[in-house]
Amino acid sequence: MNCFVPWGHKDTRSGVRLALRLLAVLACYSLTALAQTTNKPESANTPFTIQATHILGFESSKNNSNGSLSIQDDSLRFQLSKKPAAQVKISSIQDVLLGGESKQVGGLPMTMGKAAAPYGGGRVVSLFAHKKYDIVTLEYVDSVGGIHWAIFQLNQGQGELVKKELIARGVGANSSEGQSKQSTAEVTNENK
Amino acid sequence: MKTNRSTLFIAFAVAILAIAVAFPGQSAGQTAATKSSGGQGASAAHWSVQVDAIEPGNVDLASSFQAAIYENLLDELRKTGQFEQVFRDGDRGARDIPNLLVLKTVVEKYTAGSETRRAVTTVSGATKLTVQSQLVTRDGKVVFEHTVNGDVRFFGSNLRATHNLAHNIAKTVQKSSWSVSEQRAAVQTGQL
Repeated sequence: MNCFVPWGHKDTRSGVRLALRLLAVLACYSLTALAQTTNKPESANTPFTIQATHILGFESSKNNSNGSLSIQDDSLRFQLSKKPAAQVKISSIQDVLLGGESKQVGGLPMTMGKAAAPYGGGRVVSLFAHKKYDIVTLEYVDSVGGIHWAIFQLNQGQGELVKKELIARGVGANSSEGQSKQSTAEVTNENK
Repeated sequence: MKTNRSTLFIAFAVAILAIAVAFPGQSAGQTAATKSSGGQGASAAHWSVQVDAIEPGNVDLASSFQAAIYENLLDELRKTGQFEQVFRDGDRGARDIPNLLVLKTVVEKYTAGSETRRAVTTVSGATKLTVQSQLVTRDGKVVFEHTVNGDVRFFGSNLRATHNLAHNIAKTVQKSSWSVSEQRAAVQTGQL
């Protein structure tokens, strides 16, 4: 069969193969670069947004509500869907502390389901229906000097990103050594 | 035999009726007492309170817990309506308030619980908090001092213990003898 293939045609096929290989290498390289860019803390002017649950304390936001926590320019914002964002100036944030907590997933439906499960099956479900979260605690002052505390719950690993981002924008973090010790104790306790 | 039973039943019914007739008097008395207490609470509305930051004392308490106790205390004290204004720690507006009390809270005991353990075992994994609460006048006189507990034993996240604790503190302040006698005495002697 090969004897019927002209030399020029063979060259073209190997050229195409080479091009495809190069494209594959380039694609891998760009994907890796993209992943690295995502993990890297954003620069001071780039908006930073992350999904979070507001536990309590942040301005006029409703407790235990899900929304997006964003850092843009000089403000930290928490936005619920279809509602105006609550925000504080980053310069008013005095401290950012990171902790951890293990919580039940599934909310009320899961609780009802567990209660309805026969022969204590709900307890077995409980063993697996928990997830670890990062807890970010912010201390900030209002315009008249009053101290506020706000607590946000984020997916595991994202709390560190928020903390780094805030520190990069000048928030004092005399925070984390002591706090991480405490939070580790908490998480350890949860693992028992 | 049947006659005896029916006699017993009638006697039992009469006894219940008698208790029911006697009880409303007591119940009305209790209501009156509660109302008068509420009235005194209303008179306490001339006073304002400033909630100081929570002192962890010698207890290794996560910052999220300190934050949650502080924020929940502010909410619960506002809900009672006992004080004219509830100020945050550091609020400059509190400087010019003539009748100001400062609520100091020191954590005495903390048992870290686990939501997972509570869900699986029901009987273990409770989160418990014990604090010493004081209401102090500007000149340092302690007008109220109580040890208050808060815990979460069955359902809910660990942070719910802070809500229960804050609720208990606010209720204890509201029901305390301070709001009746101490305050009057303090007013008469001009100590407040």
